[in-house]
Amino acid sequence: MTTQESTIAATFDVYRFDPTKDAAPRYQRYTLDVPPHTPVLSALLRIRAEQDPSLTLRYSCRSAICGSCAMRVNSKSRLACETQVGPEIERNGRVVVEPMRNQAVLRDLVVDQEPFWRQYDRIDPHLILDPRHPMPEGVPTSMSPEQVEAFKETPRCIACGACYSACPAVEADPGFPGPMALAKLYRFVVDPRDSAHQDRLLRIQPGGLWTCLRCHLCTAACPKDVRPSERIRDLKEMAVRAQGGTENGSRHAIGFKDNIRERGVLIEAKLVRQTSGVAGLVGQAGQGVRIYRKKPEILKTPRKIEGLDEVEQIYRALDRPAEDGQ
Amino acid sequence: MQRHDVVVVGAGLAGQRAALAAIQAGREVAIVSKLHPLRSHSGAAQGGINAAVGKEDSVETHIYDTVKGSDYLGDQDAIEFFCREAGPTVVEMEHFGTVFSRGPDGSLARRAFGGAGFPRTIYAADRTGLALLQGMWERLGTERFTLYEEWDLTDLVVREGRVQGIVAFDRKTGEFEEIAARAVVIATGPYGRVYGRTTNAHSCTGDGVAVAYDAGAVLKDMEFVQFHPTALLESGILITEGARGEGGYLKNAKGERFMSRYAPHVLDLASRDVVSRAIVTEVAEGRGFSGPYGGYVNLEVMHLGREMIESRLQEIVDFSRNFAGIDPVTEPIPVYPGQHYMMGGISTNLHGETSIRGLFAAGEAACVSIHGANRLGGNSLLETLVFGKQAGIAAAAYAASAPAPEMHASDLDRAAAPLRAWSSRTDGEDPSALRTELQQTMERYASIYRNEADLLEGLRRVRALKARFARVRVVDQSRVYNVNLTDALEVGHLIELSEAIVVGAYARTESRGAHARTDYPKRDDAHWMRHTLAQRTPDGPSLSYGPVTFTRWEPKERVY
Repeated sequence: MTTQESTIAATFDVYRFDPTKDAAPRYQRYTLDVPPHTPVLSALLRIRAEQDPSLTLRYSCRSAICGSCAMRVNSKSRLACETQVGPEIERNGRVVVEPMRNQAVLRDLVVDQEPFWRQYDRIDPHLILDPRHPMPEGVPTSMSPEQVEAFKETPRCIACGACYSACPAVEADPGFPGPMALAKLYRFVVDPRDSAHQDRLLRIQPGGLWTCLRCHLCTAACPKDVRPSERIRDLKEMAVRAQGGTENGSRHAIGFKDNIRERGVLIEAKLVRQTSGVAGLVGQAGQGVRIYRKKPEILKTPRKIEGLDEVEQIYRALDRPAEDGQ
Repeated sequence: MQRHDVVVVGAGLAGQRAALAAIQAGREVAIVSKLHPLRSHSGAAQGGINAAVGKEDSVETHIYDTVKGSDYLGDQDAIEFFCREAGPTVVEMEHFGTVFSRGPDGSLARRAFGGAGFPRTIYAADRTGLALLQGMWERLGTERFTLYEEWDLTDLVVREGRVQGIVAFDRKTGEFEEIAARAVVIATGPYGRVYGRTTNAHSCTGDGVAVAYDAGAVLKDMEFVQFHPTALLESGILITEGARGEGGYLKNAKGERFMSRYAPHVLDLASRDVVSRAIVTEVAEGRGFSGPYGGYVNLEVMHLGREMIESRLQEIVDFSRNFAGIDPVTEPIPVYPGQHYMMGGISTNLHGETSIRGLFAAGEAACVSIHGANRLGGNSLLETLVFGKQAGIAAAAYAASAPAPEMHASDLDRAAAPLRAWSSRTDGEDPSALRTELQQTMERYASIYRNEADLLEGLRRVRALKARFARVRVVDQSRVYNVNLTDALEVGHLIELSEAIVVGAYARTESRGAHARTDYPKRDDAHWMRHTLAQRTPDGPSLSYGPVTFTRWEPKERVY
């Protein structure tokens, strides 16, 4: 050691909860002098070594590849090992460390990932082969660089669960597969070796695909730039193409598109019917009446907008087969 | 008590491949792992997996390179088997679903790696381990087996020379459990955390190796420790050899590509031990850089251009930016060697059989030996799969005819008693402090360059730590997810294995592969062309020596 690095005094407020003795969670404050580029994980491990060995967390590789140390740092779901203390202190004055959301806390920063893995299992995370087209004997499958490109960044996923923690759709509906499972599904749907693309797209839709709110919080949270929300968008497109709308979600998308083409604006009463069908209309009648009382024009078919011919041109351009083969 | 035909401990690539083989052989299988299988350290392997599948390459060349890389300490029958299995193994992983990088013609892309005659390292960008781990877990997931996830191994029960099962505890509940097994496969990976600067994960604490050693299994060649030349300076995080395989090179503070002095023919792609010693020498002789984290040299990839760096060395870009605040597109990466791989481990033959009946081992926890005194890059991922499968097959065959295991209530008590004692102490040694001191000791006295005085002092210190460990104290009193208890368990394992490393290194009065004695700088085939075998006694490891198997390659001086 030839020179000493400058350090900052950092305050950590860490979520503590031991179900065997705590009635409710609490926050414990620790202070530590660290060089600003110190990873939050290193700081937590120093706290464990120097101040409090009972502080409980998962960690292993400390290089953002095992996915063990996902937690919330100043409210953001991320990997503690690749989050530096300095910028957090600059932005927030302190480092608040909490367990991931949408999963029960087992102790302190350790959550029960069982529901997360259950959703992963639900998408059949393995190649499904067509017995009529077995893998070539003794040689690898041929796969063009373009076919590899189609996986996008999904093979980078380390299943840390940061996206699952950040996802408001998971919070609202624990039955929703969540971003990681859907990004994984995408990985199989574009895999030229897999034979169940259509089937996968059909099976994921009930209570699956269309629950995504398109908020992109998963993409913001992902430490490996997997971009789950973009892949979910791709899956939705593929789902609509695959079966032309047998699910509310895909019918909604198709109805939306047809509405705009027809009038340039949404035809709301028609869209509800298109999305939910007649049975769905009956089911939503109570809500419909309430909306009608507040906004009676809802039942009128709106006028065509000006410049609808330009809208039509856009639709025609989009209907042409894409040149890049997508 | 739980009962299974085959219990595999460790769920990285070797453990998973062993489990799959045992299931396919018709046995009922359980996997015990302290991590979720997808969090195993196999996933951190970056560079690739060797298979001589190129037209200009040959299995013969792969065998020769591995024999030479091992500094002639590898068993040539095992190496021949290993290299022949390489092609089929990679094809199988591709069929399991692994997403490899591809060449323009749709074939598996290959890159050059150190110590190899041809570009034979097949890869998936710079996350090959992750890609294989995903493919393996996806394939294994289609089979039926029991998974004990986040369980810590504490004991291996051996009675009348046969394995009867294991004792482990469930972190989630803190409960100890006996798991009876006709056969046990240890695949718990390495123990790199005996060193301070290591590319290994925090969880690489050699639990299975230490527990097997304690139960009487023979360890082999423990003194051979590979230091990876390019670990990030402060954190020890690995910068793959792929960075040099793609054309990156090392420079000292004078701006010299100093590898020309040490390996004039292959320069930066010399074998890892050669490059690591070169870096240490440059820094020791005043030609390195210095900074708050000690001396270092630079790894430069800037000249490869942004596009190539960002497409082929993506993880390296992220690592450098996130963990060192360095942008490798525009700046050199500060590196220094860090512990990377353990050539030693539980002594096995090429079927994974150990010195205890019913006990098998595979992967980095085992020593077959194919790596001898030094492992080549791209051979360890291959080893996990080739010998994981062999160990699974052999364990399944053994379990098919082995008598039903006998576990007694006293087995559980015997395993649990010391851990309960650690928790009931009101005063004692802190496991974190013991670990830090052990790591400093090994780093200082038993690292890249070794000599008699250092090793003796290192041994004295390790033994002092062992004595202090007898009074280790676990402060945390909770039953649930008590990682403080795990800390203590792990540091106990690390201390035992450190002693075996130092004793083996002290005894071996020659330099071979990764074992470099400044007081014995030459390889000494007349005395030391043999494997070190270590067995545990209350007074420390008892050493004996075993022959190296030769088939066709006579020892030559190793020059790159």
